[in-house]
Amino acid sequence: MRTVIPTLLGGLALGITTAFAQSGDLTMPKTIEAGAAFSIQSAGSGKGTIYIAGPGQVIKQDVQLGAGISIPAGSLYNAGHYSVWLTSDSSTQSGSIDVLPAQKLSDITFIAKPSRLPVALHNAITGSVYVFDSYGNLITKPMQISFQLLNPGSAPQTRTAETRHGAAWTQMDSAAREGKAQFIAKVGDISSTRIVGQVPGDPCTIKMNAKAAGNKIQLVTDPVKDCSGNAIPDGTIVTFTASYGDAKSTVDVPLKKGIASTVIPAHRGAMISVASGVVLGNQIRWAQ
Amino acid sequence: MQKSEVHLSRRPIPLPFILMAVLLVHLPLMVMKLPLKSYDTNFHIFFASHYLQHWFDPWNTKWYAGFSQATYPPLPQQWVAVISHLMGLEYAYMLVQLIAILLLAVGVYRFSLLWVSPRAASLAALASVFLGSESFLVYSAGQLGTTSAAPIYLNALPFLFEWIRFGRWRAFLKATALFAAAAAAHHATLIFGSFFFALPVVALAILDRHEGEEDQKSSAAALIARTVGIVVIVTAIIAAVLLPFWIALIHNPVTQEPIPHASRANYILSPFWGINYFIVPYGALILAFPFIFMRGASVRRLRPLLIGFWVAMLVGLGGTTPVSQIVLRRAGEVITMERFSYWATLLALPFLGVLITELIDRYKTRAVAVVCTLAAMTCGLAVAWSTIHPPDAQEFDTKPVADWLNRDGHNNYRYVTLGFGNKIARLAMQTEAGSVDGEWNSGRQLPELTAHGAGQLTSSKFFGKNGIDSLRAILEHADHYGLKWVFVRDHYYDPLLAFAGWRPVDNLNDRTIIVWSKDGVPPATPINTPQIPPHWQGLMWGILPFGSSILALLVLLIPEGTPLESRISFPSPAEEEYASGRLAS
Amino acid sequence: MSNGSRLLAVVLAAATVALVTIGTLWPSKSAAAFASGAQFTTSAGTPEAAVRTLGEQIRANSYGRAYEALANKGEFSEQQFHRDLTSGWPDLRTYATLSDFQVQPLHATDSEASVRLKMQWSTVVGPSISTRELHLVRNGSKWQIEWPIQKEPVVPPQVIPVNYLRWDVINRGSADDWGANDVEAPHVRIVDMHPVQRAEGLVLLGELLNEDVIPAYVSVSATLLSKDQKVIDTEGSFDNISHQLLPKQVTPFLIRFPNVTLSQVGSVRMTPFSTLISASADPVIEIQDEKLTPAPDASLTGQLVNQSGQIANVAHVMGTFYDQSGQVVWVGDQYVDHALLPGTPIAFNIHIPEDLARKVSSQRTVVATYSFGGAQ
Repeated sequence: MRTVIPTLLGGLALGITTAFAQSGDLTMPKTIEAGAAFSIQSAGSGKGTIYIAGPGQVIKQDVQLGAGISIPAGSLYNAGHYSVWLTSDSSTQSGSIDVLPAQKLSDITFIAKPSRLPVALHNAITGSVYVFDSYGNLITKPMQISFQLLNPGSAPQTRTAETRHGAAWTQMDSAAREGKAQFIAKVGDISSTRIVGQVPGDPCTIKMNAKAAGNKIQLVTDPVKDCSGNAIPDGTIVTFTASYGDAKSTVDVPLKKGIASTVIPAHRGAMISVASGVVLGNQIRWAQ
Repeated sequence: MQKSEVHLSRRPIPLPFILMAVLLVHLPLMVMKLPLKSYDTNFHIFFASHYLQHWFDPWNTKWYAGFSQATYPPLPQQWVAVISHLMGLEYAYMLVQLIAILLLAVGVYRFSLLWVSPRAASLAALASVFLGSESFLVYSAGQLGTTSAAPIYLNALPFLFEWIRFGRWRAFLKATALFAAAAAAHHATLIFGSFFFALPVVALAILDRHEGEEDQKSSAAALIARTVGIVVIVTAIIAAVLLPFWIALIHNPVTQEPIPHASRANYILSPFWGINYFIVPYGALILAFPFIFMRGASVRRLRPLLIGFWVAMLVGLGGTTPVSQIVLRRAGEVITMERFSYWATLLALPFLGVLITELIDRYKTRAVAVVCTLAAMTCGLAVAWSTIHPPDAQEFDTKPVADWLNRDGHNNYRYVTLGFGNKIARLAMQTEAGSVDGEWNSGRQLPELTAHGAGQLTSSKFFGKNGIDSLRAILEHADHYGLKWVFVRDHYYDPLLAFAGWRPVDNLNDRTIIVWSKDGVPPATPINTPQIPPHWQGLMWGILPFGSSILALLVLLIPEGTPLESRISFPSPAEEEYASGRLAS
Repeated sequence: MSNGSRLLAVVLAAATVALVTIGTLWPSKSAAAFASGAQFTTSAGTPEAAVRTLGEQIRANSYGRAYEALANKGEFSEQQFHRDLTSGWPDLRTYATLSDFQVQPLHATDSEASVRLKMQWSTVVGPSISTRELHLVRNGSKWQIEWPIQKEPVVPPQVIPVNYLRWDVINRGSADDWGANDVEAPHVRIVDMHPVQRAEGLVLLGELLNEDVIPAYVSVSATLLSKDQKVIDTEGSFDNISHQLLPKQVTPFLIRFPNVTLSQVGSVRMTPFSTLISASADPVIEIQDEKLTPAPDASLTGQLVNQSGQIANVAHVMGTFYDQSGQVVWVGDQYVDHALLPGTPIAFNIHIPEDLARKVSSQRTVVATYSFGGAQ
């Protein structure tokens, strides 16, 4: 056992030394465009095997040494740094090549956020674009992107941005009117569209009216709207509170057809208020 | 009309005949898989299924987010696992249970030989076939551990007597091996059996020390020395065979809140439980009580057996008397009482053998007819009890639940069921998903479960406030355990789930099972706990308990020169102190 | 049989009978828990004993025996008595069991007495307490209870127009490749958060607002970090929150951290969670006559009135209590164990810890409801 480990270490060192002694450099282009054909010049004679390994891709091919080795178009398509080895029974040659993204734009990815937001918010809509070649490589060369937010019934908003490291982004304002906006990103003749829902914001004012209904009070709001005049969606909770003496009554009512309505017990001198979320409405003192 | 003379043999009933009777009565019931309706059968099969796949790893992740099966002696379940290779888990269980009943008949015969004549012993063995408590434990309770340990133990006792009384080394070897196997089958049987069964046998050996030939007589000191010797050796062997069990017990003693069990009820104040835990297990044996007391008191060498029976019976009465609380103390809040009634009935069988012998001698065929009728009624009631009062009345298929869990990555999360009764063991076998619930209360370590004095989460409502508190606690910590799914078969629980933020997401079995889910729960991850047995304990657990049974079988093959009947010959109380036909003085 | 032998048999038999007698007359706690209300010790010799017997019979579900012993049983049927205790409509009380009760004598003469019976019911969502003041009359040597029957409210025949709002969600199917284009989760916001040190541990209180235009399922969890940024504990709001929030609705939340003190905590990481759910805007529950009762026995009382036609089987009332500066000082809750029938007021009472009651200046109450059959 004592002799085994030194023997193994010695053998390993010899193997490494031999490998370095026999290696040589391959002749090939330093860079190519993704998917482009190219050739590699090797030295020596006889048969060998070439290995090309890079990001997410490995190519193995039997070749004749001394002749030019052709790598056909479409073989190397993932952008990145590739290592090349040519091995035969007697020698190993190596080299490297960088594959760059193709110059021609093929596809864009467009992310618009949020998909739903209140109206009339400044810089609340964000659009991000990523540009890709036909092989899905991010094109790092700067490109001009145009963004357009089309709101029904109002002028479109337009922005332009230049990609940096393959990405560009912008911010837009939500429109004053509720509705679905089309958010379009365009590069050359390629475009992508996302839909952004613009929904009413918080109620601007809430006004309620009270009238007697037997020994109770019927409370009804005016149609509840936001500050841009959009009707607050049905289902939004409106809270009526009647305070009398040291007691109070509360009822959470959903808006139906734009108004909230409820009936509460009548108490002389009760102070009745209305609110929705963090917005307060008017107050009524019930004198009957 | 000429009156015919009926001749009834006074010879013992041959053992093969008794074994045939076992097969006649119990084989069809096993083929019908009747024990599957019991409380615990699925629990044992579930344990066996784990051994089938992980023989050397007692850590089971399917219950309680992980628990150690080394907290329960494994022998019968390991045998089920081994035999299941031939016939599947369910029939393997039935076969192991049937073998246990066959062994019981042999054990009762051999044990009774210590006390009564071979003829009475054979009748006692035949009576064991119809014993209500045996059928109750097999078909209603599903206590495989208890019903397999007791026969092994009973078979060991004559060897214990032989060793103590005569100092025979062969008997010492066989007794030791059988005791180890009995412990590997069920620890409680060995611990309590020592008091109810072994102490009377030791007392009998001391009482009988002057009987027999001159060379068979021993001094009291020699008997005590042999007793101490075998106790020490057997204790050491059992400590080794079940070492992972003892380690688990010492490191994680059962300190959880006591869980109510109906066997601890007062059977007079709770008549239903009286029927369940007294009338059904004892059956017609109750009619023999006066005889047992009178004969046991009047024959000196039967008194130890009488005392053993009496104490076991009182403890088995649960809350009907204060005895179980006084005798068992804290242990009485953990173990259930029906097993004590089972042991009491086993201790009563030698008396019963004598009674039947004398009845037959006196009343001939009329006695045979009455005894057979009572035996059939006792056995019939106990067998039918699993149908009259089914332990789990909910008959439904758990396969759709398992299929649901096993698809679309649902088994990346843990689950709990509500209203599934004892089907949770069956479901656990069918799915790869883990649950935070389980049926082995002594094995659980989750603080949410141990702190509240309730049993299975699936039956929370039956444990009152404790059960609901326990369920709330585990649901509150759903995120901790990756608990995302709750399968509800009882809408009682719906309000709790709804207000706690769970939502129904699917339904199964024609909408009888609703799947509730909680959003935002992270996937389940293995819990890291010191309760996980190290690998060496897994090896021990896989080798020693099962090995002890193999060793016991091999040791039993060592031939004996003479049959047991002649090796432990003694003056029969029925023949010596009572004239034939004289039932009571 | 010798005298000695006979003596042993007699002693064992007598000891057995004696032990059974002891175990029956003075059953252990566990044995008594299983007893069916047929204890030999039941008696009606004193007003308290009569009420205690009634309590035991209710606990054992022996409503027939309990009814038979009442003095005024001619005024109502056994079924009405049963429904008075367990509700006529499916609700929490329907499936509850009486876990415990206390008897408190109030007043007694030779011929009549008043006794308060406080009953603790075990329900699926936790304990529920109800109290009845019972009038008893002496009948010979026995005391009999006049049960104060509370007959079920009768909802008059009427037509309540149903014009409810409902949101349905169509989620992407497993075969769809919509990715991130699925409907965005509702936007919710924690509008207040405040830690309170209590004897049992640290409690986080706060309020959560659904600021979106769609209903949301919400929950809140919190992670306590020590001063060196190590995780101390993570807990969730469980049922101390209203999990369904309609647009612009606010819910209080309370998260308990048992055995943690505020001094241990360096920071808190709050994680509100929201997702889209199908929801209905009904039923609308009015909270009438809310009143803050000061300490001692500080509480928020009021009545719930179901303004809709749909029966709400279980209601959960949550009160948010604020100090003068508007900061949340406590969140209390109560499950109402009677179904909310249309237009029928049901009282609620939320206990406020006495030490905090002094700080309470105002409150806000929300109600979450559950209707059986709402699950799939």
